[in-house]
Amino acid sequence: MTLAQDTSHQPAEKPMPRNIRRSAFVLDAHDPQLATRAFNSHADAIFLNLIKPGNPLWPSQLTTTLPSAIEAAAAVGAEIFIIIESSHLEAQLNVAIYSGLTGIVLQSIEGAQTLECASNHLTKIEHERGIVVGSLEIQVWVDNAVGVGECLSIARQSQRFGGFIIDDETLCRALGMQTQPTLSFDPLEYIKSELITVATSVGAQAMGMSYPLGLTRENSSPETVKQSIKRARDTGFKGALCAHENWISHCNVGFQPSPEEVDYYRRVIEVFAEGIRRGMASVPLEGKMIDVPVDLRAKLYVQWAQRAHQRDEEKIQASNKKRPLTA
Amino acid sequence: MPCRRSWLIQSVLPSTQHQDKPSEKADVLVLDLEYSVATRLKSRARQALREQLLNLDAIQQSAFVRIDWSTRWADVRAAMYRGIQGLVLPGPENPEDIADIDTLMSQMERERGLNQGSTQIVLMLESARGFWNAQSLAQASPRVSALGVGRIDLTMDLKPLPQNEFRLSRYLMSRTVVAARMLGKQPLGAFWRPGTRGGVANPTQTQEAAREAQLMGYRGSFCVNPDQVAAINHGFSSE
Repeated sequence: MTLAQDTSHQPAEKPMPRNIRRSAFVLDAHDPQLATRAFNSHADAIFLNLIKPGNPLWPSQLTTTLPSAIEAAAAVGAEIFIIIESSHLEAQLNVAIYSGLTGIVLQSIEGAQTLECASNHLTKIEHERGIVVGSLEIQVWVDNAVGVGECLSIARQSQRFGGFIIDDETLCRALGMQTQPTLSFDPLEYIKSELITVATSVGAQAMGMSYPLGLTRENSSPETVKQSIKRARDTGFKGALCAHENWISHCNVGFQPSPEEVDYYRRVIEVFAEGIRRGMASVPLEGKMIDVPVDLRAKLYVQWAQRAHQRDEEKIQASNKKRPLTA
Repeated sequence: MPCRRSWLIQSVLPSTQHQDKPSEKADVLVLDLEYSVATRLKSRARQALREQLLNLDAIQQSAFVRIDWSTRWADVRAAMYRGIQGLVLPGPENPEDIADIDTLMSQMERERGLNQGSTQIVLMLESARGFWNAQSLAQASPRVSALGVGRIDLTMDLKPLPQNEFRLSRYLMSRTVVAARMLGKQPLGAFWRPGTRGGVANPTQTQEAAREAQLMGYRGSFCVNPDQVAAINHGFSSE
């Protein structure tokens, strides 16, 4: 029996995290190698960037190429989001929304009203284009002070809200903070904590990396990346925006329970179930006391691991079906 | 907006203790009606204020007045004269209070021929409620130009941790810098360490506190000793 098939330990709680979205990677929608790059990335989510750096003009040819770009990127099993600039909200939504998208990533948000406008406009587009109404998700890329200061009202604004994306370098710059890792502590520590808490409070999740790697975005050694992911996961992030392609595989492994954790929590479940059968409210395991909350957490962790495994299987199957094409 | 890194707080009344002249001019001189003036001398301090403001205006020194919250109405009336650039309000907690002071300031500006709306307000946050309400306090009046972190280690009874820092102050400074940046106000504060806070910090410690605050997004700080002015200016000048 594979991990994904084992459904014997289903917790009664809501699934945690809501989505298996451990890694996100930005690709250019106009990149002729988009399909190949998406195929090779293995990211859980791909954020398609519509605007070429240094060219603020709207690329009109995208309206004809975007559907195939979305299809090509989605063919490897990744969730596809389009990056939308809040200052050009409706214009960009009008040309960027097609079937096959999971949602959008809003940048430079100007408050909860931006999310409301985006949500209303998405509803209109969903009606017009035969997309299930309410299905498109909105992620918020927190790149300014408003995104932090009004995070609670933003998160509560719409059922479409799926989470916060935290990019340390952009946010530090917006807040007038250092953009070099000079401090001995993370200047965004409490801001990240707040965004994670707010996102979780509405059933969404936050993606981000720990300090200092989140700020430097260096192409560091695998060990450094793994350690940074561990700290990020311990902080409460459920995934990260990957600055480099080679962060992705580490994120996919690091933002889920490790095999050792799964083994341990399986034993917790077994030992506690046996204790319950014998009429006990708590039982010892390896010197620790196992009671109802620990058992519940164990079930959630095992389920999390199963869902992550299932997500990997989906991506493998999708990749096997589709060979990379040029978008 | 002029460069306002160092905000030197000085008593309105002459100090009985010898004070060195700062080696550098403070970007802002804050004439104090609060802690540096004994209660029995408040009335005399208010009377002395007008002339001092005129003198500072003559030498083009930016001058703010820190009022005492408990005697704010009398203090605001005493401070609103030619030469004043703004008021520093310590320990605000409710937006309504800021709006009330704004109304009084507008009345004083009319009566005394000052440009309408020209006198600024700097909020010096000092309490849990004040920090929590930072955003609404800053929005309570268009005069608010800066949000400052005040005596949080004292008012919130923070104790130094083994790591030799006030962990809560990082959280409070984060809240303040977000509110300030969101609303286009200048964030004021220094990352003081236990035992080296404010008045007892030497120039080296002051410069380090300013530098770390600058890295956290702050752009100026209050200080009480003239020898801290250069340290503050340098700390907030380094990139």
